[in-house]
Amino acid sequence: MNATAMAQPGSQTVQTEKPGGTRIELAGCTKTFPDGTRALLPFDLTINGGETLVLLGPSGCGKTTILRLIAGLEFPDAGGKITFGADDVTSQSIEKRRVGMVFQSYALFPNMTVAENVAYGLKVQKVERRERDERVRAMLEMMHIDMLADRRIDQLSGGQRQRVALARAIALRPRVLLLDEPLTALDAKLRVTLRTEINSLLRKLGITAIYVTHDQEEAMALGDRIVVMQKGAIAQIGTPREIYRAPRSPFVADFVGASNRLDGRIEQNSLVLGDIKIGLEQIGHAVAGGPNGHHDGNAGQGVADVYFRADGLAICTPDQGQMRGRVEAISYLGEKSRLTVSGIGESAITLDVDPDFQIAIGDDIHCRFNPERLTVFGRYPDARNAAQTM
Amino acid sequence: MALQNLGEGRSRPSFSRYFGMSRSAMASPATFMALMAPGVAIVAAFFLIPLVLVAAEVANGPDGWATYLVILTNARYFESLVQTLLMSAGVTVVALILCGIVGMFLVRNRFSGRSVLIGLLTLPLSFPGTVVGFMVIMLAGRQGAVGSISNALIGEKIVFAYEIAGLFIGYLYFSIPRVILAVMASAEKLDPQLEEAARSLGAPRWRVVRDVILPGLMPGLISSGAICFATAMGAFGTAFTLATDIDVLPMVIYTEFTRNANIAVAAALSIALGLITWLCLSAVRFLVGEKADLAARGGA
Amino acid sequence: MRRGWPFYAQLGLTVLLCLFIVVPIVMSALAGVTVNVFKGLSSGLTLRWIFEVWELYAQSILLSLWLAVACLVVTTLAGVPLAYVLVRRPNRLTRMFEEILTLPVAIPGLALALALLITYGGFGSFRSSWVFILIGHVLFTMPFMVRSVAAVMSAMDMKTLEEGAASLGAGFWHRFLHVIVPNAMPGILAGALMVVTLSIGEFNLTWMLHTPLTKTLPVGLADSYASMRLEIGSAYTLIFFVLIMPLLIAMQMLANPGKKRRAASQPAEDE
Repeated sequence: MNATAMAQPGSQTVQTEKPGGTRIELAGCTKTFPDGTRALLPFDLTINGGETLVLLGPSGCGKTTILRLIAGLEFPDAGGKITFGADDVTSQSIEKRRVGMVFQSYALFPNMTVAENVAYGLKVQKVERRERDERVRAMLEMMHIDMLADRRIDQLSGGQRQRVALARAIALRPRVLLLDEPLTALDAKLRVTLRTEINSLLRKLGITAIYVTHDQEEAMALGDRIVVMQKGAIAQIGTPREIYRAPRSPFVADFVGASNRLDGRIEQNSLVLGDIKIGLEQIGHAVAGGPNGHHDGNAGQGVADVYFRADGLAICTPDQGQMRGRVEAISYLGEKSRLTVSGIGESAITLDVDPDFQIAIGDDIHCRFNPERLTVFGRYPDARNAAQTM
Repeated sequence: MALQNLGEGRSRPSFSRYFGMSRSAMASPATFMALMAPGVAIVAAFFLIPLVLVAAEVANGPDGWATYLVILTNARYFESLVQTLLMSAGVTVVALILCGIVGMFLVRNRFSGRSVLIGLLTLPLSFPGTVVGFMVIMLAGRQGAVGSISNALIGEKIVFAYEIAGLFIGYLYFSIPRVILAVMASAEKLDPQLEEAARSLGAPRWRVVRDVILPGLMPGLISSGAICFATAMGAFGTAFTLATDIDVLPMVIYTEFTRNANIAVAAALSIALGLITWLCLSAVRFLVGEKADLAARGGA
Repeated sequence: MRRGWPFYAQLGLTVLLCLFIVVPIVMSALAGVTVNVFKGLSSGLTLRWIFEVWELYAQSILLSLWLAVACLVVTTLAGVPLAYVLVRRPNRLTRMFEEILTLPVAIPGLALALALLITYGGFGSFRSSWVFILIGHVLFTMPFMVRSVAAVMSAMDMKTLEEGAASLGAGFWHRFLHVIVPNAMPGILAGALMVVTLSIGEFNLTWMLHTPLTKTLPVGLADSYASMRLEIGSAYTLIFFVLIMPLLIAMQMLANPGKKRRAASQPAEDE
């Protein structure tokens, strides 16, 4: 009960609605599989018309299950309700729901050409031949694959297949577009290119879209709002900025890149790490993990988890330094060098410096915090269990 | 062999290397030949040479080399060939349809008792043809199950074990296990996402079957169909046990050889039959790959 | 999951097919232990028929078992080295040989027997010995052994294994016996089961080749169906089932290792 209740507050009502798109609501939905696994804990979710909602999380967190519930490939347990606009679609199976779906493996029909694949849905709907050919042609042109119309599927590259899958899904003018990790199977550069294409396509069409991924960069780039999921429950819903800057739990913080972690204490409105004391008002984002889990500036006393990215510490001269560590590894990343530093905290810390900075493995370095880049989660000793379920 | 050549100019084959006692990782040609010798000897002495002799024997017949074509020229043999072809084709089609439905069902549905059903369906894989004939007698003979049931239901005992229907049932009996295994293997490889994609585009169940599932199963269906056909063509034990009026080709060959001592004709017919079955199985291998033909052939 | 009428219709068809396969088996098993099959089970159960079968056909049963073992030995000794050569040296010659090796499976047993009879029928003592039948069985079953072993060997990357052993000083025969063969064991086992099962059940070939002194189990079966009363034929069939079932079960188990076993043999994961 506590876990989900704590996670619900988020940007449910941020204005991301666009005219023309279908609004989707899931109320009181859970999903239990026949063998007993609880894939989804009870949740409510509203997707505004025309919005691109990203479901983000590690594998097994339930994001694909939610997508399949919306698609109509699975049905929620008794009591759950799903509506598209004014229609209750809870008991409709996928054939009737008018959704467009793009699969991770594209699922293109190998016995048909590109044009036949795109035309398939229209054929099933018994659209007349001439109009069908028209729409197929327009679709192929829009996706820049009109020259591939008569090719067989196995002759296409990954990126081309992806475009065909998109064209096929959109050709029917679905109420919502569902994308299940569509870019995972492509190499990095192609992924970025296609991501941009998909982004502009979704904006142009104004269609409601739900996008599943485990890649936080993709989520940030595409989503109007992001739903971060963990073990069948919603951990946080928010805009990319909110997720990035103000993660509500250690899980979310770690998932979106703040993977440096230190133990500290909160005493009298200050964060205390060893000899270092930082006033809470300076901290970028502080969450007190009491039983009700709300953002509470007066954290009082207790244990704290401090999360930050590689920009949470800055290298400095010994007299300015708050901490000292030893360089274990250096990764040259072009725009910056990323140092792996031991001696600060229990596990190694990553820290970015200017790429031309002279430093070698084994050197001692001194650094100080950038308080506004820190995320602090306070834990009261007796509320430890509540916070740990997040 | 590279190890031996280190530091030497021109290498001379050493005694140990020639007889496969080399320290290099590749055995010498002589070793390979020694390894193959037993197998090659068996195949050569008991298969290749006899084949050649059979081919020659055909020419010893009264018509000389023309005996090769006797299967086409003689009315009785030709009729037998046609009957066998029709029977095999009919059994293949029925087996494919039945096993197509049942195989897909078994692959797509999990329920308690499923593995029991699968085990039961594949029992007859190693039955000799004669046992299959006996099974037909059990089902449709004078004391058969079908007879008893029909007697109870409509007062008349239906007995067809010794007619063409009985032979057909027998052929079906040993075909079903083979085809079902092949269909199930094929169905397991189908990508469920393809069916979900078709459904997402609005296709009702029958369209999904027609446009996605059947094309996906087709290679498996064709290859198991070819295997089923070849097995039925060459089946002897079943027809022998049932001793029906149907003269399938293997039975004709048998009677020509044993009763009529018509060796040349028997040889010619055997070659024709062997050619047909070999062509079928080669087509399977060509289409689908190495394992398929052996996997289903054993027995019958 | 909603299970509509299509599910039950298909289930019905499946059960019908199973009944088609199983009912005659059960019937014949029962008939083999019934006192009087025309009177049915009410006449009582007895082992009398089984004993009579043993009196009449003990020779055939034992010969079949003997042949199966002999066939296994020959196919293993000839087939395992053959498989090694086929996998290690895949050139045109060996591929052609593999084709020829597999021909006896593609050709009807009847035709094979005919060929053997035409060629060796004149050698009296050879023709009427059990070795003659063994030859037929070996021709028919060796491809299965070879394929089974070759499949395991080609998945095995023998070249690297052999190079590793050679680098440690092992000569060819030592490598073959102590590295290659032990690693190919799963294939040899599967092939062995296949060979034994096929040999026991072989009829088409054996019927043509047999003499009154060299009758095998299936030949005896055909004999009993034709000339003995139903109870004896059924009892004999029952004996055949009892012989063959454990082999079939063993083959199934080899082909589908239980889920628990598979999970236990998964490699440990790096943290």
